Amino acid sequence: MSAKDLIRSLRERKATVMSVTLHVLVLGWGLVSFSSRSMEAPQPDIIAVDISMDDTSTMTSGIKSGKKENPKPLADKVGETKPVDDALGKLDKKDVTTATSTPEQPKPTEKPLDKKPDPKPEPKKEDPKQAEKKPDQKANDPIADALKADAKKPPPPKQEAKATPPQPPKPKERMFDQSKIASLLDKRDPSHQAVTGDTINPNAALGTRTGNANAMVANWKGAFVGAVRRCFNFPYNDQNADQFEVDIDIQLRRDGTVAVQPAIVAVRGPSRSVGNAMAESAKRAVEQCQPYAFLPKEQYDTWKYIPMTFGLKDML
Amino acid sequence: MSKVPLVTRRHFMMATGSTFAAFGLRSAWAQGGPRLRIDPDAFQPMPIAIPAFVPGTPADAQAGADVAGVITNNLKRSGLFAPIDPSAFIERISNPDSPPNFASWKQINAQAVVVGRVTRQSDGRLKAEFRLWDVASGQQLTGQQYVTSPEYWRRISHIISDQIYERLTGEKGYFDTRVVFIDESGAAERRVKRLALMDQDGANVRYLTRGADLVLTPRFSPSTQEITYMEFGQGDPRVYLYNIETGQREIVGNFPGMSFAPRFSPDGQRIIMSLQQGSNSNLFVMDLRSKSTTRLTDTPAIDTSPSYSPDGARICFESDRGGKPQIYVMPATGGQAQRISFGDGSYSTPVWSPRGDYIAFTKQGGGQFAIGIMKTDGSGERILTSGFHNEGPTFAPNGRVVMFFRDPGGTSGPSLFTVDVTGRNEQRVPTPGYASDPAWSPLLS
Repeated sequence: MSAKDLIRSLRERKATVMSVTLHVLVLGWGLVSFSSRSMEAPQPDIIAVDISMDDTSTMTSGIKSGKKENPKPLADKVGETKPVDDALGKLDKKDVTTATSTPEQPKPTEKPLDKKPDPKPEPKKEDPKQAEKKPDQKANDPIADALKADAKKPPPPKQEAKATPPQPPKPKERMFDQSKIASLLDKRDPSHQAVTGDTINPNAALGTRTGNANAMVANWKGAFVGAVRRCFNFPYNDQNADQFEVDIDIQLRRDGTVAVQPAIVAVRGPSRSVGNAMAESAKRAVEQCQPYAFLPKEQYDTWKYIPMTFGLKDML
Repeated sequence: MSKVPLVTRRHFMMATGSTFAAFGLRSAWAQGGPRLRIDPDAFQPMPIAIPAFVPGTPADAQAGADVAGVITNNLKRSGLFAPIDPSAFIERISNPDSPPNFASWKQINAQAVVVGRVTRQSDGRLKAEFRLWDVASGQQLTGQQYVTSPEYWRRISHIISDQIYERLTGEKGYFDTRVVFIDESGAAERRVKRLALMDQDGANVRYLTRGADLVLTPRFSPSTQEITYMEFGQGDPRVYLYNIETGQREIVGNFPGMSFAPRFSPDGQRIIMSLQQGSNSNLFVMDLRSKSTTRLTDTPAIDTSPSYSPDGARICFESDRGGKPQIYVMPATGGQAQRISFGDGSYSTPVWSPRGDYIAFTKQGGGQFAIGIMKTDGSGERILTSGFHNEGPTFAPNGRVVMFFRDPGGTSGPSLFTVDVTGRNEQRVPTPGYASDPAWSPLLS
């Protein structure tokens, strides 16, 4: 029956019409008031019980295409080295002409002009995070190669002992050659977080002073905090560090990249300039450590918008 | 008539379904859920890349490397930044006017890149320019140009360092500053002590006296061109004023007996010092223009080592009026003195931070000499370093770093050290020989 017929027949029964209308109104009002009220209930931090098996299996599944015979060594790294995409390499020679005709300083060491050469060079706003989920092969291959080379060394002579009863074939012993490893060591200053492979190990968040018990659970929040924390290096050296807090709202795309520049919502602390610098440092951390590819896609709605508070508690 | 269903189930579903659809799905976050909290695990300095400044002409290659080297050293010694080893750099900066290849800097985990250029101009002057880039967002954070005489290239490097420091920390820097100290040489029993001046990183050392007479406690004027200090000449030790630019000296006042521990007032118009009177010493202030002197304390005790608050309203000083040397705070015009040190041991050489928030001191007890800070009401006492024999703190102009000297004793001599006000990042300050009694200048620029 079409809508027209419905309306025609309804016209003939006014009482019924009123009844239906009132019902719809009541239902509608119910939907408006009840639904918003239920949404107002604050989301509690996820309790340990709520482990989604999906989360655990996705995050600890590792990379199926990774080479199994070369265990990735646990190295103290500041971060993984990702091979640079070709598309990005094309970008670098954007010659921005800036009008650098600034007036010369007459005196030798006086206050310099606060001159930003115009126009400010605006680099193309590309997403540097086309790079990917390739396994960390470049950095590990030299180490893998060295290990392979060492494995080729002749096995120790005791294998020739005939007096011993026939033994099951021993695996070739790998001689640990320290001199070779020394030349391959990452000479950068070590960070505290040990990382293997491309996917952030969510267990990196375990046992942190600032993590609560919830962070130890296999939900994305602990892993996300751990990931952003790696890039959060605010240079501060005074005793009132814990008086500073910055509220940042971030928005992520489904692939874990940052969708828009993080928004600074609030800055708290005894110094405005320090607080603002800290807010920039927080934004920098979020943008530098992307993409957050480990975030579970099926829960995208829960991490599409993430309001965060950055603090400096226990830093010093 | 036939029974025609009025409202079929289908219609009902349509009606309610559309009402539901109007609200759509909203993330629980947008309703004001708790914010996700993140604090650092531990302090990690900020990784920054400072490639050599591009030479404007081929002859400027060394200058470009030198400038980047001074900046790198400054930022590294601050303990707040971790300059990345240049051997790790992927991109070679050839044009500092265009944005760098951010992806390559991100790859080595640089969070900021400093690019610059040094050019010896045809008029003989040196032009230095720099830009500070934020790698993650690809934005320029700051950029400046400077032109100066070539011999001031270090000052330009320090000024650029301060710009970078201020932009990234939100705090004023302290790199374009000098330190006056006592250079010590010779055998331990017959040390030759000379007044010396250097850049805060140890460069450009200059001797202001020849060492014939014993010199002590040099302090900078807020105008940075004058130093006051104490010298043992013929007879009693006297307070002197020394003009750095002209090299001229004059005695401050003509007081009977010893005068010592001089300091400038924040406006540079007065010198406060200790005058000995018999077995006591009391605090006096002398106006440099009118030469009039005012007594501030009058106790049968040793009151010494006074230091003004940065607003000039109060002074802190050391007094043993209560038995052991302790720290007192008093209005700058005199009056009721309030004791603020209460820990175990004796407190001396108090100095007020240029930010006004802390007072640093030497604390002695149990065979240990410690350098510490406390809030100006005496609370929050915190020891920054302890051992044998630390003494004589002085603040950097931004109040975040303290310099002091340490004398290990024996045949060895004292050296200068810095540490930040959290007690982290203790660094030795390089000096040509032994050194003691440092005083930090205000920012030169």
